[in-house]
Amino acid sequence: MTGDSARPAVETRGISKAFGGVAALDAVDFEVRWSEVHALVGENGAGKTTLCNILAGIYRADAGQVIVDGTERDFRSPAHAIDAGIGMVHQHFRLVEPMTVAENIHLGWPETPGVVSQRTLNERTEQFMGEMGLRVDPTAKIWQLSVGEQQRVEILRVLARGARVLILDEPTAVLTAKEAEDLFAVVRELAAGGLSVIFITHKLREVLAVSDRLTVLRHGIREITRPTEGATASEIARLMTGEERVLNVEHRVVTGDPALELRGVSALNDRGITALHDVDLTVRSGEILGIAGVSGNGQTELAEVICALRGLESGAITVDGADITSMSVRAVTDIGVGHIPEDRIGMGMVLSAPVKDNAVLHSYWTEQFSQGLNLNRQSVIDFAKKLVETARVQTRSVFATAGQLSGGNQQRLVARREALAADRLLVAAHPTRGLDVNAAQEVRSTILDKRDSGCAVLLISDDLDEVLLMSDRIAVIYEGRIMGVFDAADADREHIGLLMGGHSITEAA
Amino acid sequence: MTPLASIASAVLSVTPWRLERRLEVDAKRAALTRIGGAVGAMVVVGILLLLTGRNAFLIFWQALDAIFGRQRGIEGVALRGIPILMTALGVALSLRMKVWNIGSDGQFLMGALAAVGVGIHMDGPGWLVLILMAAAATLAGAAWILVPALARAYWDVNEIITTLLLNFVALQLVTWSALGFWRDKEAAVIQSTREVPFTLPGLPGANSVTIALLVPLAIAAVLWWVFRSTSIGYEIDIIGGNPRAAGFAGIAVRRRILIVMLFTGAIAGLGGMLQLSAPGAQAMNAGFSAQFGLSGFIVAALAGAAFWGVIGGGLFIASMFYAGIVLQTKGLSVYIIFAIYGVILTGIALGEIAARYRVVRRDSADESGTAAGQAASAPQGAGS
Amino acid sequence: MILAIIENAFLSLIGSAIPASAVVMLAATGAMLGERVGVLNLGQEGLIGIGAVYSVIAVLSWGVESPWLAMLIGMMAAAVAGLIFAVCVVAFRASQVLVGLALALGGIGLSNQLGVNRNGTPIQTLFREVNPGGVLDNNDALSAFFFHDPVVYIAYVGLPVVLYFVLFRTRHGMNMKAVGENPAAADAVGVSVTGWRIFYSVLGAALTGAGGAYMVLSFTPTWSPDIARGRGWVALAVVIFAGWRPGWAVAGALLYGSMISLDTTAQARGWGLPFMGASDLSFFLSMLPYVVTLVAILIPAGAVKLGRRVRSTAAPAALAIPYSREER
Repeated sequence: MTGDSARPAVETRGISKAFGGVAALDAVDFEVRWSEVHALVGENGAGKTTLCNILAGIYRADAGQVIVDGTERDFRSPAHAIDAGIGMVHQHFRLVEPMTVAENIHLGWPETPGVVSQRTLNERTEQFMGEMGLRVDPTAKIWQLSVGEQQRVEILRVLARGARVLILDEPTAVLTAKEAEDLFAVVRELAAGGLSVIFITHKLREVLAVSDRLTVLRHGIREITRPTEGATASEIARLMTGEERVLNVEHRVVTGDPALELRGVSALNDRGITALHDVDLTVRSGEILGIAGVSGNGQTELAEVICALRGLESGAITVDGADITSMSVRAVTDIGVGHIPEDRIGMGMVLSAPVKDNAVLHSYWTEQFSQGLNLNRQSVIDFAKKLVETARVQTRSVFATAGQLSGGNQQRLVARREALAADRLLVAAHPTRGLDVNAAQEVRSTILDKRDSGCAVLLISDDLDEVLLMSDRIAVIYEGRIMGVFDAADADREHIGLLMGGHSITEAA
Repeated sequence: MTPLASIASAVLSVTPWRLERRLEVDAKRAALTRIGGAVGAMVVVGILLLLTGRNAFLIFWQALDAIFGRQRGIEGVALRGIPILMTALGVALSLRMKVWNIGSDGQFLMGALAAVGVGIHMDGPGWLVLILMAAAATLAGAAWILVPALARAYWDVNEIITTLLLNFVALQLVTWSALGFWRDKEAAVIQSTREVPFTLPGLPGANSVTIALLVPLAIAAVLWWVFRSTSIGYEIDIIGGNPRAAGFAGIAVRRRILIVMLFTGAIAGLGGMLQLSAPGAQAMNAGFSAQFGLSGFIVAALAGAAFWGVIGGGLFIASMFYAGIVLQTKGLSVYIIFAIYGVILTGIALGEIAARYRVVRRDSADESGTAAGQAASAPQGAGS
Repeated sequence: MILAIIENAFLSLIGSAIPASAVVMLAATGAMLGERVGVLNLGQEGLIGIGAVYSVIAVLSWGVESPWLAMLIGMMAAAVAGLIFAVCVVAFRASQVLVGLALALGGIGLSNQLGVNRNGTPIQTLFREVNPGGVLDNNDALSAFFFHDPVVYIAYVGLPVVLYFVLFRTRHGMNMKAVGENPAAADAVGVSVTGWRIFYSVLGAALTGAGGAYMVLSFTPTWSPDIARGRGWVALAVVIFAGWRPGWAVAGALLYGSMISLDTTAQARGWGLPFMGASDLSFFLSMLPYVVTLVAILIPAGAVKLGRRVRSTAAPAALAIPYSREER
């Protein structure tokens, strides 16, 4: 099945690629051997995904060669890459939601029979699953599956087409600890069977746990390729970021009146299914309460009910003792609740509007800017200029559109804007997702400053390291239920990991 | 990259230039490429005319002469400009919210019909009747878009087809009025409604253009002000840019969509009354609207929903329209105007896309790329 | 007895509705083909005009004697227009709404211009009706469903059955739906989104052109300006009403057609109401097809909002959204 084991499975020579004049990859040489798990490591924006998209035929390189099993290839589409035996599982799954598992596996596959019935598709799917040792219900629709199951469908689909090189892009980002362990086992088994696996990640623990060799990319340039054996986490981290950096956070124990209180809160998600079950939570002034959990366990809905973007089925929410359960978005904002939304592009800003308009999105109606109908242009511009300066947003001017800002600058803007709006409570959902280290650090400092000034902070993140680093207290959420609340001092990483996967306290103990 | 962009890249690959996607398009460049697209479309039309054995240059010259060579021509453009500008302003307002009101023809007709109803049934001083006619037309235009607006705002039904279907209903209703319930029984030749006995006062120095011409100018000024310095304009732009962000900012998105759509209908409806109050156009027949709504739509698309741009674009399209009527005697039918509209609209749409690409020199682009990369990373390093 | 009268009236209504909305049926199928792969073509009105005028030209000026050949020529003309549209919106990624409207306008203008000297000239090259041969005669109750042109059966039976089979029973249909629902997913497994979108836009345009050809080769049968008279827009509405399912399009088209035939029947028989004379009633009835169509597209949306949500009637998720591989 595999090629000559003396030749590399995949090799790139001098691959370069630029987007809009900005280099994403600069003359990268990269090599993966047969039968190995190769970790591709780097910060966000280092070019890992771009490199793999070129290998998978999604992008075309501006310069350089791709050599697969000794033959130079020029992939003009993913179909060519598949033919050459390269299959990629994207971070954002490429599955058709209203279709079944069996249909998705057979999509675009020349070996699918021309005339099909659900039954034949299901039978064929069952058969592969048996051969590959991975199982999902073939008749289930994609939208009914958990994220881990969806990932299995993607892997099955790639393997069914005879992929010999499997690329996994940040595969554990959405998995529970248990699911991630299962994935590692599958990956090692596949490599043992002669396949090559390219494993993209920025989590050092995973690199050390699963890979045989590793390659570090930084700013589109390859820093090193070496065997994993003997490598240390701090060494890799240094190569990734080019510097050692430590954010020292002092955890506090705060007593006193709660700023935010949720009592028996239940709410539905967009599909009408209960996403929050009877949630009780308290956040005090001057503390950060971190919500640990795998994405999709009710965090989105939690942030939205607090900020009045979603209605409650039952329960009550108070801020400083005042009931805000049935308040409007605007009223909640006016009493001093700021919200860094999970989806900053989809919800937190308007890309087509100028920076100045985005700067006042959560405050334009206040007296500072509006007198009656009139929206004071000059005060908006002044405010925006000051915000851009204090948040260190890199932009030509406040009249440039928000879409022209880089992701890091967009989030700096949103984070600072919401921090300013938040007098009493800041809800920060995945505030550093997708940011490079420096931008993430600045956003974290903004949040910590807010805490130190006496504001209550609810921090939601699926990055457990971030939650452990930042929080004074930690609550674990699983399937819309709070599984437990701990002081930072008592928090045990393993224990929290188990709770995030739905194991109860007694089981964990 | 699209296949055609790939082909373009391949062609360029033997030259020192290459095609590059811009990260973000700024509004001025998009406006320029849109106008470029429209002009390019006119050139294509000219070539097509040449190919069919017509002298495009002569036709163009004749058109210019017909319009600008005499006062009648300029007034003719202004007369056609009024309904086109009114529908275009309505469409432009809805486009600020990314709502496509393609039913402005229907709203225009219903406005005129309501004005006729008031005008032929009311007695009183002329100015009062005219004001009441305008009020009725405004309400009728808004009422005609009410169902599509409610459906769009609260049921998420796409407005394109619902607004358009109502154009046909309005046309049938106008035909009914002209041949049926408000028919002028004395007029023998052209069947139309009875005539409204009032007209708006003329503009000083004009033979046929009335003060109606000032109305679209005033509306454009008001809209420009609303979007420049009020919170309402700000909210509409936010909804148009990202409805979820508007909800995040606490804007009542659905109610705003409903209200703005009603306004777009009202403006088109008022346009119907203005058309009706011009001397010699005081009755309605089935041909009352010569697809003014569609012309208005093209103007709004060309102007990219910028209100002063609507005035310029509207006068341009009105000139074409008038030229088309004049040129009918020169062996062209009025139908060809619509064919030309189609080509122009395609040119505008392609121009909008062209704004997203730029041609750069290979080496200089690489330099600027590296420079941009450094610019992006250096300040971050400094910030830590 | 009364039942028999109602049954008779119903059958005669259907009998004339069937040919009256065959155009809508063909155009709706054409539009549906494009929309299933994510391309919204608002230019149906123009495509009907182009298909019709080129069939007329084929018969009157080029001396084509077979209605099938004339229809094929009309289809090819519409396909060329559809290709220009598809290149603009799929390859160049121009706005589907703008270019679609351009096609509607340009198609109407072009066809009217080309037809200007052919107004009202009767077409002699017509389709021959399918005669069930002795089994039924013209007076039979079921005759409403027979004695139509072969095109009618293709439009109402052949195309929906074939399209249903392809969409829901073949690999090809599965890939088609994927292109319309999630082009990135289709692309990732090697389905050429651009290729499929262009192909089905062109094929859909050809079918709509066939609708126009049918009008002048059978229904009217003569050229007149603005030949489509809103049927292209109605077809787009029928697709929404049908929830992108071929079988339901038949119901939608017949709904429109029966409104049309109600109007023509009322006119022909001089029907009137106590409070409305015959001519007023006819004016009123002539508005009904559009009003009923409008109400029909509100039904599925209303059903969703009022809680009777049917997932399968949602529009293809990527409808009218251009796809580019290198953009996220």
